[in-house]
Amino acid sequence: MSALAKRTTPYLWSARGFIAPGVIIVAVLLYLPLLWTTYLSFTAYDGLGDPQWVGLANYAEMFDDPDFLGSLGNTLLWVVGTLVIPVGLGLALALLTWNLPGGVWLRLPFLIPYAISGIGVGLIWSFILSSNGALDQALGFFGVDETPRWLVDAPLNTVVMIVAASWQGIGVNALLFTIGLNSIPKEPLEAARLDGATGGRLFGSILWPMLRPLTTVVIGLSIVASLKTFDIVLGMTKGGPGRASETLALTMYKETFVNSQYGLGSAIAVFLTVVTMVASILYLRQQLSKKNEI
Amino acid sequence: MSRIIRTSVLAVFGVIWLLPVYLFVVNASKSPLTYTSKEAWVPTDFALFANMGEALQLSGLSASVASTVIYSVVSPLIAVLVGAAAGFAIVALRLRHGFAWFVVIFGGTVFPLQMVILPLFDGYSRVGLFDTQLGMIIVYTAISVPFSAFVMRNFFTGIAHNVFEASVLDGATTWRIFRTVYLPMASSALVAVFILQATFIWNDLLLGLTLSQSDSVRPIVTTLSGMQSTYGGAQLSTVLAAGVLVSLPTVVLFLLTQKFFARGLALGQY
Repeated sequence: MSALAKRTTPYLWSARGFIAPGVIIVAVLLYLPLLWTTYLSFTAYDGLGDPQWVGLANYAEMFDDPDFLGSLGNTLLWVVGTLVIPVGLGLALALLTWNLPGGVWLRLPFLIPYAISGIGVGLIWSFILSSNGALDQALGFFGVDETPRWLVDAPLNTVVMIVAASWQGIGVNALLFTIGLNSIPKEPLEAARLDGATGGRLFGSILWPMLRPLTTVVIGLSIVASLKTFDIVLGMTKGGPGRASETLALTMYKETFVNSQYGLGSAIAVFLTVVTMVASILYLRQQLSKKNEI
Repeated sequence: MSRIIRTSVLAVFGVIWLLPVYLFVVNASKSPLTYTSKEAWVPTDFALFANMGEALQLSGLSASVASTVIYSVVSPLIAVLVGAAAGFAIVALRLRHGFAWFVVIFGGTVFPLQMVILPLFDGYSRVGLFDTQLGMIIVYTAISVPFSAFVMRNFFTGIAHNVFEASVLDGATTWRIFRTVYLPMASSALVAVFILQATFIWNDLLLGLTLSQSDSVRPIVTTLSGMQSTYGGAQLSTVLAAGVLVSLPTVVLFLLTQKFFARGLALGQY
């Protein structure tokens, strides 16, 4: 009874008034469109006339389409690539600058790219990687004359775009890991140091386990962000040549707004959303069950 | 000794990391008259500001800049207030099922934007919001509200409830308590959320691409993306200068505020 009394408020209408704007904005501009996209994914629709119910036809078409499957493959490459490179190097960078005098300044060069938009990063890197561009000129200077067509050959183009995205993303991961390192209590660290643990042993037995919760967050954020990769690809290859370097987010955009295949585009959006949700849930569950074993 | 090695390794990699920025600025500074793609690494002349001026004339970039300033000031401003109001309702006013309502608002941010852009495009076209500044302000506000509510709810949880009770005893209305007690106390969090959301909106591409088409409504990153596919060759230095112009505000803002954010994140405030 008392617990219930505590939860009820004498300011019922006032509280509703304060929360209403947020709920209404999100409901009208995010949830309503979400439901409509889900509905459209089961229809044939090109913006004219009424959507025609076709059941799962769009989903069947999607998995028969080699362009979609290629896009799915590229997206998986993005997920793996941005896990290994920016998260791994971000952690390395955080460890190198940790407790280092001037570490804040040494970290700055890695933070600058983070504030540049995806299109800005794409602009810089497509300039560098264009044929006979800055990279080819530098390689030529060192005597390498035969260079691959960085942005043309698949899957190399996706790999170099992952490198560009890593150039952008590593600094913020390092910043997050630095925050994690700074929040580790001093006592166990000192104890381990007194016991003679240094370098690899200190990292393996103390730092890594203590960074676990933060690593979960960084990896989770990284997976979700890489599944949505769009700006950099549009800025560097536009998904080309042909459709060779498209990601799911870009394929969805092209099917919808270029080909006016609203139903198919919506089905890809739903697929992308389901994959994002499932990946997050599986990952979180796995991390939580690991925690319970300890 | 290891300190020297660490510093050297970091310095070397730092220089490598800055090379793309160097190439970006050096080539954005080359006059279109003398520009050649053959000597990307060598600075030839310094026409950065002339190129930026030139870029502002292309593709209606100057009109885009004006609109984008409006979007990235007005939308986060509305969003932090709406988010703070939601946090206030849940934490201070102890709204029934407050946590469920919080999940409803925060849930708006967990799926990709691809899930909402088509209906927004369709709906905006029907009600006359397509390609309007008002339409852009509304959509940017909507995508900023969930994160804002998340931070503000967390922040208000850290304020003792007897602050609220004391204000009630003083005879203040809830609106007055929100405005004169809670908002001022939360100013640091409000500023942090504002800056993060302003940066996000400034760098947005997808919503600009989908919901606008005219020069005066299109946000700058979308305009930059269009310029990149329209102009090449000798005009490349102008496009690069446009890129520098678009990137500069967020880079400066981020570098000025990163320490502040690191501290806030460390305290678990945001």
